[in-house]
Amino acid sequence: MAARRLGGSSWQQMSLLSRRWCLQAGSAGKREQNRYSSSSTTLEKTVENSEVTREEIVLPRRKTWDKLAVLQALASTVNRDPTAAHYMFQDDPFLMPRNTANSRLLSLSKESGRSAAKYIIKEFPQYFDKTTSEPNIPCLMPENLTPQIEGVSEAALKERIHLRGVKASVDLFDQLLQAGSPVSLETTNSLLDLLCFYGDGESAQEKQNEQKGDLEEPEENTSEQRSPKRQFQKSLNSSGFRWRENSNAERIFKIMPERNAHSYCTMIRGMVKHGAPAKAYDMYTDLLNERHKADVHTFNALIRAVPYLKEKFAERWALVKDFLNHMVQQEVQPNVLTFNAVLKTLRRCGGVGRGVSLSVIQEMNALDIEPSLATYEHLLHIFYRSVELQPSTIIAEILEEVEKRSFTPQDPDDANFFPTAMQACCDLKDIKLAYRLNKSMEKGDNWKFLDMDRLNAYWSKFFSLLCMMEQIDVVLKWYKEMTPSLFYPSTRSMFDLLQALDAANHLEVIPSVWEDIKQLGFSRKQDLLEELLSLMSREEHPEETQLAFAKCAEDIKAAHEQSGRDQAPLEWTGSALGHVVVLFSRAGRTQDAWNMMEHFQQINRIPTDQVMDEFLNCAKKTNCPDEAIKLVKLAASFGLPSTLKFKSRTEQEFELSEKQKNTLESIQSDSDSSDSDSDSDRD
Amino acid sequence: MWSRVAAWGGGAGGGGRLAARGCLAARLLTGPPRGRQAAGAVRQERRPRSKIQKLFSTSTVLSTKEDGLTASADSTTKTASKSQEDSAETPKQKLLNIIGNMKVEVSSKKKFQQLKTHETKKQAMNQLEGLDSKSSTFPKTTEDIQRGKPLNRELVEAASAVASSLPLNKEQTESDLLAQLRRHEETTDKQKKGGTINIRNVISDMTIKRESPAQRGVRISNLISLELEEDGKRIRPERLAPQSSDSRRSLKVGRRLNIFTKTSPDTEKALKTESSPTIWDVEFAKEIAAVTEQPPRNGFEEMIQWTKEGILWEFPIDNEAGMEDDAAFHEHIFLEKHLEDFPKQGPIRHFMELVICGLSKNPYLTVKQKIEHIEWFRKYFEEKEELLQEI
Repeated sequence: MAARRLGGSSWQQMSLLSRRWCLQAGSAGKREQNRYSSSSTTLEKTVENSEVTREEIVLPRRKTWDKLAVLQALASTVNRDPTAAHYMFQDDPFLMPRNTANSRLLSLSKESGRSAAKYIIKEFPQYFDKTTSEPNIPCLMPENLTPQIEGVSEAALKERIHLRGVKASVDLFDQLLQAGSPVSLETTNSLLDLLCFYGDGESAQEKQNEQKGDLEEPEENTSEQRSPKRQFQKSLNSSGFRWRENSNAERIFKIMPERNAHSYCTMIRGMVKHGAPAKAYDMYTDLLNERHKADVHTFNALIRAVPYLKEKFAERWALVKDFLNHMVQQEVQPNVLTFNAVLKTLRRCGGVGRGVSLSVIQEMNALDIEPSLATYEHLLHIFYRSVELQPSTIIAEILEEVEKRSFTPQDPDDANFFPTAMQACCDLKDIKLAYRLNKSMEKGDNWKFLDMDRLNAYWSKFFSLLCMMEQIDVVLKWYKEMTPSLFYPSTRSMFDLLQALDAANHLEVIPSVWEDIKQLGFSRKQDLLEELLSLMSREEHPEETQLAFAKCAEDIKAAHEQSGRDQAPLEWTGSALGHVVVLFSRAGRTQDAWNMMEHFQQINRIPTDQVMDEFLNCAKKTNCPDEAIKLVKLAASFGLPSTLKFKSRTEQEFELSEKQKNTLESIQSDSDSSDSDSDSDRD
Repeated sequence: MWSRVAAWGGGAGGGGRLAARGCLAARLLTGPPRGRQAAGAVRQERRPRSKIQKLFSTSTVLSTKEDGLTASADSTTKTASKSQEDSAETPKQKLLNIIGNMKVEVSSKKKFQQLKTHETKKQAMNQLEGLDSKSSTFPKTTEDIQRGKPLNRELVEAASAVASSLPLNKEQTESDLLAQLRRHEETTDKQKKGGTINIRNVISDMTIKRESPAQRGVRISNLISLELEEDGKRIRPERLAPQSSDSRRSLKVGRRLNIFTKTSPDTEKALKTESSPTIWDVEFAKEIAAVTEQPPRNGFEEMIQWTKEGILWEFPIDNEAGMEDDAAFHEHIFLEKHLEDFPKQGPIRHFMELVICGLSKNPYLTVKQKIEHIEWFRKYFEEKEELLQEI
């Protein structure tokens, strides 16, 4: 009883309160919202309005939480850890990837493990008949893919189509035909859908396996301009299946007693998808002859196929315009995908595309169709991917638009926007634009548009732009932020970083960069090692830096000598050896330096005078006349013209014992004899 | 403002090179007052070099003053010059004219020196005396041109051809040159109009370049592009006049295609809701969803994913997970309200209270089943009421 009374009064309370709120609606609109989200505000409110409520207790309304709300709130409290790899790699420290190749390998193998498990479940459902969980978890149990309806009937055909059994459906369809029972137009059409989508003979399982394999995409971008034909087959024909003459789809289409617009449309879409654009165009003319109307998806597919139908730029654009006019005639309303298809085609239209693309955007504006990211991506491609870059305001305007809006995916090409835009910024060498772009990428859910590969492309572009344009401190800050949590630098990025260090005269950071290079697994990249060594040995540095450099040199030496399980040891080059000697000499490690000197003989290279000078200086510093004499000997054995110089230096600068003097004297004789052929060896 | 000056200097030097050169020479020969100005300008420079070199040297002087911008200035002037060359090149007649101009220009170099010494205006006819003796200067000009900046190879070749075929006959040359001068006067006027437009373009390009940060990268890249342009490989065919101004382009202005007309939303809807989704639609939706599909970034996101897949208990965790019916817990537990039809006291009441107590603790029955259970007892006791009465 008491409870009921209380409840009743609380309802009165609520209505009272809400009436009050209505009065204050203008000022307290925000509170109004809060009332529903948390009960505490209500209580607060009660305390405030104590003269109205007195000692009433207000029971909060029961709030039903979304099942994800708690988790989402918790997830939003976790930030990215810049020192850690992606969460996906965190289960086993041993497997933690160190570079791009490894991370890709690991993520792919995780995914392939998952699909292998799925495959097993699907292949052998009989072993998974025990439902152990309560409540049941359907996604862990095998899907039921065996058709339930036996016999030859249209219902059975429908079921097989629904289960996406391409072969089974075709067989059943043939059986139905042989039995003489007609199949309805609708069912035949959905059979055609199935056949056209999977490209005739492709099974549903195959399709699911490659769903996650977004491996090939980055390569696609580079080859796009060069060979549209090949790329076409690659992109439109992702299942690796080509449209065949007299395929099942065509056969069924031909024997259909009556066809409607849908039959034609699905055939056209299938032909475009599976790399038969010319056939699709013929099919479209057939459709027009039959006085049917195509739908918007069909037009989109046709527009996308235009570059493969016509050779000349102007002809392509004319054909696109034809299609668009046909759409008006057939009263088909375009959608954002239509215009994206138009722009995608205009990418392959050179100067024509540049001229027309902006009118296309105007048309979109006029029709109130909001552009998707893919629209902007195509625009950027049209304007900034040509041979020479023109400074223009297009990219700035696009960025403005992107900053203003939030985006949901609408087009599969949407994902390319951020990498392309960053590429454009990089080509324009405009760091401010790049910062803006980065900001809008981090805004909201935009980051989701970057998958692993695109993420890498995006950040390495951004990073090389930073290296080029920014102060070194800023570069290093970004570098710390970005690796390895966002991307793994490529050798290119490391080169950029080294160049930035060089330009900013911050070479003392090199040892830590070298650590990273080792981590990234680039310690066997010859050109990178060469660059590193030449930077380190170019100038003299303070004592500690030299010592650190010598350590790096030792590592590099180790990298040259140690041969991995299946790799041959790295070959020394003359210059690399020279640099290492110089580095050791400057750090006063005479013995190590001499060891390296001996390598010169092994690989038949000749040290430069500078290297030998440095070595001699070092020998003098550490008071090692023996090494100096060895050097003179070495020079003599190479027959270098500078032998005499070194010899006299040794005589003057070192305190030599009698025996040493004698050995030094004895070197003299053979130096002149081999003088002539040494010069030819030099290079 | 330096940039602007640089543009002008460069523009006059590189861009309007041909036109300005020819123009100057012509003015000097015919001797209008402006010619004197030009000569004065040359004198200020006080260098007995060819004008090409002079003008370029001024631009390099400027470039040392503000290095970021001049590189871009150079490149823009270069493109301007190129476009001018292109436009002049197309008709053959114009090409000849230009070659003629060059000839005059070369000879005029000599003239400047003479002018300097004499300080008097002379008739063109008189001046031309010294010209053809200077035919040896032609190879030098071509050389200059090659060394200097990009003239089209065809143009250079044509020039050298003309140089080689130059007649030694003095009178002939004179009259030829004069005729060419007259023709060239017209063309310069024509080109001057075009030239000013080009210079305007140059300036507009300049201002845009100036906005971008004048940093190392820009400089380097421009230098690189300069080099590329010099060997003539990278000349873009579409650089011709009407297309060249991307800077004027914008997303906001411009014509639309005017193909479609806007329809009211009602008709759109009517079009949309006609058929059930086909396999195309389903798969396209999947593809779109895959665009923003990301692996979980932290443990909680992974749990979200699992929740969506139905692997994880749903939060907040309570004992209602997996219950099919939508009844709340109190309906399962507080069953007294179903006992209203039973006697208020007595053994039956006692028995029924025990029954609902048992039912309230039973998690395996739904609310409906519990109520049915109670119903069954009610009916049972109603049927047996007579018997019970007897007792």
